[in-house]
Amino acid sequence: MKKHNYLLDGIILIILILAGFLGFIRIKNGFSYNWNWGAIPQFFFKMDTTGKVTPNLLMLGFFTTIKLSFWSSLAAVIIGTLMGILRTRRNLFSKLIGRTYIEIARNTPPLVLIFIFYFFIGNNITAFLGIDEWARNLSETGKSILSFLFSKPERFSEFISALFTLAVYEGAYVAEIIRGGLESIEKGQFEASDALGMSSRDKYRFVILPQVFRKVLPSLTGQAISTIKDSSIVSIISIQELTFQGMELMASTYLVFEIWITITVMYFVLTISLSTLASYLERRMVKY
Amino acid sequence: MLIEPIISVNNLNKYFFSPDKSLKIDAVKNVTVDIFQGEVVVVIGPSGAGKSTFLRCLNGLEDFDSGTIVIDKIPLDHHHKNRLEIRKEVGMVFQSFNLFPHMTVGKNISLAVRRVRKKSVSECDKITVDLLEKVGITDKIDSYPGQLSGGQQQRVAIARALAMNPKVMLFDEATSALDPEMISEVLDVMKNLAKDGMTMVVVTHEMGFAREAGSRILFMDNGEIVEDRKVEDFFLDPIEDRSKAFLSKVL
Repeated sequence: MKKHNYLLDGIILIILILAGFLGFIRIKNGFSYNWNWGAIPQFFFKMDTTGKVTPNLLMLGFFTTIKLSFWSSLAAVIIGTLMGILRTRRNLFSKLIGRTYIEIARNTPPLVLIFIFYFFIGNNITAFLGIDEWARNLSETGKSILSFLFSKPERFSEFISALFTLAVYEGAYVAEIIRGGLESIEKGQFEASDALGMSSRDKYRFVILPQVFRKVLPSLTGQAISTIKDSSIVSIISIQELTFQGMELMASTYLVFEIWITITVMYFVLTISLSTLASYLERRMVKY
Repeated sequence: MLIEPIISVNNLNKYFFSPDKSLKIDAVKNVTVDIFQGEVVVVIGPSGAGKSTFLRCLNGLEDFDSGTIVIDKIPLDHHHKNRLEIRKEVGMVFQSFNLFPHMTVGKNISLAVRRVRKKSVSECDKITVDLLEKVGITDKIDSYPGQLSGGQQQRVAIARALAMNPKVMLFDEATSALDPEMISEVLDVMKNLAKDGMTMVVVTHEMGFAREAGSRILFMDNGEIVEDRKVEDFFLDPIEDRSKAFLSKVL
């Protein structure tokens, strides 16, 4: 067995500590910034006039980010699964549809996609479907359910645009993940289901996809984490998620570093808990 | 009255091209054969003779280029519905078992009965238990395929195919992937099936099985049926040189 070189480890550690120390000194002296961490907590929760504690901007943004990422990941998995299946079919037309979607979605900057959806498709389609009107005319309970699950009724059509864009963008990556999973399933599994007279739908639903999802769960988690991170770009169309709230707060308070460090930590907490959850699920799954 | 064959294959042809597209290879060539209820037809021949391809054409796992296949009066053609109908009546057992690894043995057997035959849950349970008894592994109903030996897996695969209550069973080298000591447990199940009067088409290298349980031999070479005879006649007195050469090698 190769002997472990502890001397090298020690040297690297000392260099790192020195670099950290020098960096600290540099920030402390050469960088005149008035830290004011005390101002941050009030942006998490505030007391309203009646004395009740309610979530403030940062928490509201955090929740919006969670809702947006959840729904768009879900939609991305649905779109991605369908397109991934189409991509692997023998039929040329199916293959073309799958391929076209994946190539278009993967080879466009998400920011551009968001503009296209928001200004062009979003506006026209939500108006055509009457989504705005529908959201505004909901009953009070309907409105509160809508705000709990998605967003405030007044901002619902923007939220849908953002959700749809993220879903389409991330869906293309999901489709490639699913395709890889499908191609890793033995041909015999398809043949055995066919030989039993199963319909194509049942074959995928009961035999193929459960095996695929089990195989690609780690990659899908990675994609969900990407979705959370990418969701920050929808701040550009005034979705009031975490990054948007950060920019607002920064503009009004000038606590640039405190706010962005806080927001970084919040994103990190979100993504790290998701990957912890996923690895827990992975370990818990029945071994076969 | 004339007895109608349960499987009627007429002038079946299938070819494919070598990877560089220069060579056209006949996988199945001008195969015409009628198989009747209760027959146990054993398909033998050297490897690459097209036995498996022929068998896989019978339930539409493999597309063919010309000819007709009619099973239980349903033509196997481009109509998807006919194909599904035929597959309900034709069970298949594969060389590599192809059990569904994420389902228990019980689920493996009952899935298609439930989804395709649309039987009730209680009926499915009964069928599953009965068939596991038939293939001799009642205690493994809640095991996953990965926990079973090869022989046990193949017996579950047979039970899964039988659960659909098929009129014909196809065996594609069902014992070729097994360790030698497990071959007999699977062959025993197949022999019992044959005794019970199941119509079977069996591709195998087990001459012992052919002799004991078979009623008819199809000897194939280069995609063609070279001899189509009763089992005892074939083994006692092969006519063609190719069959003689083959038998001298395997016996």
